[in-house]
Amino acid sequence: MRGSMRGCRMTEAASLQAPRRRTTAQVLVTIGLAMMAVLVVVALFGPAIAPYNPTKTSPASLDGPTMAHWLGTDSIGRDVLSRLIVGGRATLLITFVAVAISLAAGLILGLASGYMGGAVDLAIMRVLDVVFAFPVFLLAIAVVAALGPTLGNLILTIAVVYTPTLARVVRGPVLSVKRWDHVEAARSVGIGEFTIAVRHVLPLVISPVLVQTSLTLANTIFTVTALSFLGLGPPPPDPNWGSMLAEARQFMELAPLTVIGPSLAIVFASLTFIVLANGLRDLLDVTAR
Amino acid sequence: MSDTNTGFPLAETVLPQGRGYLDRRSLLRFAVAGVAAGAASRAFAQAPPKRGGRLVIGADADPIGLDPVTLTAFSSYDFTALLYSGLLRWNAEMKVEPDLAISFDQPNDTTYVFKLRSGVTFHNGQPLEAEDVKYTFERILNPASASPNAAIFASIKAVTVVDPLTVRFELHAPNAAFLSYMATNPNGAIVPRGVSDLATKPVGTGPFIFDSYQPNQQFTLKANPKYHEQGLPYLGEVVFRFFKDQASLTSALRSKAVDMTWFKDPKVSAQIVRTSPDLVSAPGKTTRTFPVWMNLKAKPLDDVRVRRAISLATDRKACLETVLGGSGKVGAMVPESHVGGYDGVGDMPYYKTDVAAAKKLLADAGHPNGIDLGDYICVAANPLDVACAQILQQQWAEAGIKVAIKPMETAPLIGLWLKGEFPTLLSIALSWSPDPDAIVSRIVSTSASGKALGMADTELDAMIVEARTLLDRTKRAAAYMAIQRRVAEQAYVLDIYQYPLRWEAWWNYAKGYVPLAANIRTFVRTAWIDK
Amino acid sequence: MIRMVAVRLLLTAPILLGVSIVAFVLMRALPGDFAQASAGTSTISAEALDTIRRSLGLDLPMWQQYLGWLGAALSGDLGVSFTLRTPVASEIFPRLAVTAELTLIAGLMAGLMGVTTGLLSARLRGMTDWVVRGWNSLLLAVPNFVIATLIVLLFGLYFPSVGIFNYVAFARDPSGNIASLLLPALSLALTVSVTVSENTRAAVLEVSSQDYVMVAKSKGLRPRAILRDYLVRNALTPVVTVTGLQLAALLGGSILIETIFTIPGMGQYLFDSIASRDYPAIQAIVLVASTIVLLMNVLVDIAYARVDARVSYD
Repeated sequence: MRGSMRGCRMTEAASLQAPRRRTTAQVLVTIGLAMMAVLVVVALFGPAIAPYNPTKTSPASLDGPTMAHWLGTDSIGRDVLSRLIVGGRATLLITFVAVAISLAAGLILGLASGYMGGAVDLAIMRVLDVVFAFPVFLLAIAVVAALGPTLGNLILTIAVVYTPTLARVVRGPVLSVKRWDHVEAARSVGIGEFTIAVRHVLPLVISPVLVQTSLTLANTIFTVTALSFLGLGPPPPDPNWGSMLAEARQFMELAPLTVIGPSLAIVFASLTFIVLANGLRDLLDVTAR
Repeated sequence: MSDTNTGFPLAETVLPQGRGYLDRRSLLRFAVAGVAAGAASRAFAQAPPKRGGRLVIGADADPIGLDPVTLTAFSSYDFTALLYSGLLRWNAEMKVEPDLAISFDQPNDTTYVFKLRSGVTFHNGQPLEAEDVKYTFERILNPASASPNAAIFASIKAVTVVDPLTVRFELHAPNAAFLSYMATNPNGAIVPRGVSDLATKPVGTGPFIFDSYQPNQQFTLKANPKYHEQGLPYLGEVVFRFFKDQASLTSALRSKAVDMTWFKDPKVSAQIVRTSPDLVSAPGKTTRTFPVWMNLKAKPLDDVRVRRAISLATDRKACLETVLGGSGKVGAMVPESHVGGYDGVGDMPYYKTDVAAAKKLLADAGHPNGIDLGDYICVAANPLDVACAQILQQQWAEAGIKVAIKPMETAPLIGLWLKGEFPTLLSIALSWSPDPDAIVSRIVSTSASGKALGMADTELDAMIVEARTLLDRTKRAAAYMAIQRRVAEQAYVLDIYQYPLRWEAWWNYAKGYVPLAANIRTFVRTAWIDK
Repeated sequence: MIRMVAVRLLLTAPILLGVSIVAFVLMRALPGDFAQASAGTSTISAEALDTIRRSLGLDLPMWQQYLGWLGAALSGDLGVSFTLRTPVASEIFPRLAVTAELTLIAGLMAGLMGVTTGLLSARLRGMTDWVVRGWNSLLLAVPNFVIATLIVLLFGLYFPSVGIFNYVAFARDPSGNIASLLLPALSLALTVSVTVSENTRAAVLEVSSQDYVMVAKSKGLRPRAILRDYLVRNALTPVVTVTGLQLAALLGGSILIETIFTIPGMGQYLFDSIASRDYPAIQAIVLVASTIVLLMNVLVDIAYARVDARVSYD
């Protein structure tokens, strides 16, 4: 799961005619943003949209689908549709906040590492290597078992997991950009190193970072739902897609919709970020190494 | 239970051979076992069993060690039950009957003399002698063994070899649970002298011999040709295949990758049995209780009014209906399958849901605006527990009692529970135990677990100690009912429901199998395959 | 080049040391230990628990336990599993073989699918290109455990008599073994195939615009021959390395697939060992898994350096 996107290194075809490519890229980005808007609206107003209280149990378990419960009820009689709508909240909250944190950490570490080079670079990158080589699930289980399955702890775990990937994406371009003329020029007129790094180097590495961030968002959706699937997600009774899928698996032959619902939700969410990433890559002409 | 599966073709071996040796009490006990077995064998006479064959059982957990003296994990019981035997055993009706012993005598309330079956050999060819029995119990009681059975058999004062086939047990005090423990595998399983490393290379006297084990894959047993019951076992080979996941277990049974398995969730069991008329499902007896343990040491649960309010705010029946689909009963400390077990319908103090009364009690206790109890810890790995916790959370909320559910890994949860270090509420279900004493002993205020919970009820302590010594079944049952009423009345532990630990299911070509309330598959020895 | 490889390999040693320390400290910091995990709810005295702990060396100070483990591990002894009471090495390598086999089958499937769709989309362009790109985006969006769950659902609903959980050991029945791994491998392969496909497509497009292909074209070589002789050889190198990297990720990420299909691989072993607090097993799994991830990374970087002279390591 982690690192499965690391392979997207090759340049996009140079032979595509530039204008047509721009148009399709804009279309992709628009679709991606529209899908994201749907996700955000559902996440923000989920409880208001949901037909039922998503945590209200009833003895009518594994019922339906009926007119009252379009996707039926789960094993303790809760409305699956309502849980699906509200369940996006936790998943997306964890995803966005975790990626924001690892993005910030990745930018700082990657910039420091790439720009300063030498011993700093070596130290930072080796520590990140340790994190990168460490099994995700062991880390997640350890954090959840030691500190409890709260939203905060999950966010922290996932942020740590994705920091190395983002740091590397920042460091790569920084290595070459810092030798460019305008950076040398800035240095020669006596602008401070920190200002150079932030003002003149950072903007030039934003494009690949943006693309990688949307891919990381898709990956994080995977990780969050996978951890919840394994019972390491946010605690009950609030719904989330991963644990809904895990619970429904027990009864999937009785109520297939309880499995298909969360599956589609997960796919929709990650597709959003993948479409966005594809569009951004074309639009910003990222030729990530 | 289908009628072809009640087979118990052991009438001749069940009847004690040395009848003159028995006193009236044990004679009565054996006679009951004999009658039950006779009735079963008539039903069984319809189809002659087939020999040879291979039974594949879908198991949900690997064993952790196979030495009956040192093992602690329930997942090992399935295997030791087929590898080892004890002096006594449970029959299909959960009555004690002789196994390696052919009879026992009880000259007084604290002495038991067992006469061993002759000609029994261990899987390594070594003959079974009274010395092995003595060796087994000395090993159990030796602190260096770290045997969990040491606490169970702490009442043993001495084990003496009378002659090679006679062994005498002397107890410190009368103990009604003694025979139940002796009959339970692995607690009372006999191990051979001078054989080490039983944990990985088990040697017993049971109907099956250890063949091979590939962790997470399969565990293979072969029939013991020298097994002491004439003609048994029928099966040539028993294979356990491991499926961690309930969903894959379901699928494995349906595709006949396994012939037999058990499910933790009654709804899964109901779902699968509905898919084919050739699947047999045994509901089993209720052996497991789902309690909410309370930390009585600290505010606010040191106040009985708060505890009673929680009990009154609880709708046990609704939990049962929603979580178990009705397959279970309202619970108290002792499940129905035990002496003095609660039948789920009798009147219990503070069991009738009454939200208004709960609110009033809370107000009396100084919480007029409700109360926040903080974390309610439950076992993350058990979906039934987590589901019930969510329903309880909603029920309690109506009475103004707030909790936050905190599912936890099993190992640390047990640590918190045993040390009493949980904030307010914690749930961990109690599996089948050989005797009700094992359950109620947990809340004796002088025991480690009682101290951890903050128990301090000397009257209840006395009741529990007395119940242990009552050898008369009726008196004992009454004593356990009284204990349970007191626990409910003081709301020391909040028992929600009781249900079978496992729901067993198998294809009807596997015959002669009887599920046991203890959820130990000892009756694989009488099973055969007729495809 | 050789120097770069040597440096990278030398650097893996301190990283592995770091990983092992982190794993060790993390596990010991967890509440609950093996004695408690295995005892469950059975009544067992505190003294008995302490005896079990002593017999496993869990009563020693942490640093002593770690150094003891490290010393043994350096001499090739991975310790004895608490649960199985057999050497960890005798358990971990068969499981690694199972996961590696699963990963390999998945890799082959992904390679076949990815190269086919990638070549199609790069060669035919137009509609095909769009269909492939859409298909790839969709596949990329479906997590492997969702695919696995849906496969199980499909078989449960429509083909209940087909045994999809019949894992058999290779030694017992080689063809049955491979057959039993096909569906799990498929659920892993679909996502990986996207990366292979995209890289194949990009590589073919890039290589075909480069000078020597132009030269070959101008020399009048048939397009098919150019494709075979130049394109595939050059384009496949990154594809292969990407697949390698994906395989490393799979080794760590197959935990869900192994759980869903009950395959006795590394992922399941790690999960079980954590639940039972089998410290020697956990340490060994972490060590082996992270070694593989690191070595794969080095290999991929070497391959890249060989393919693309612009890549340098400082």
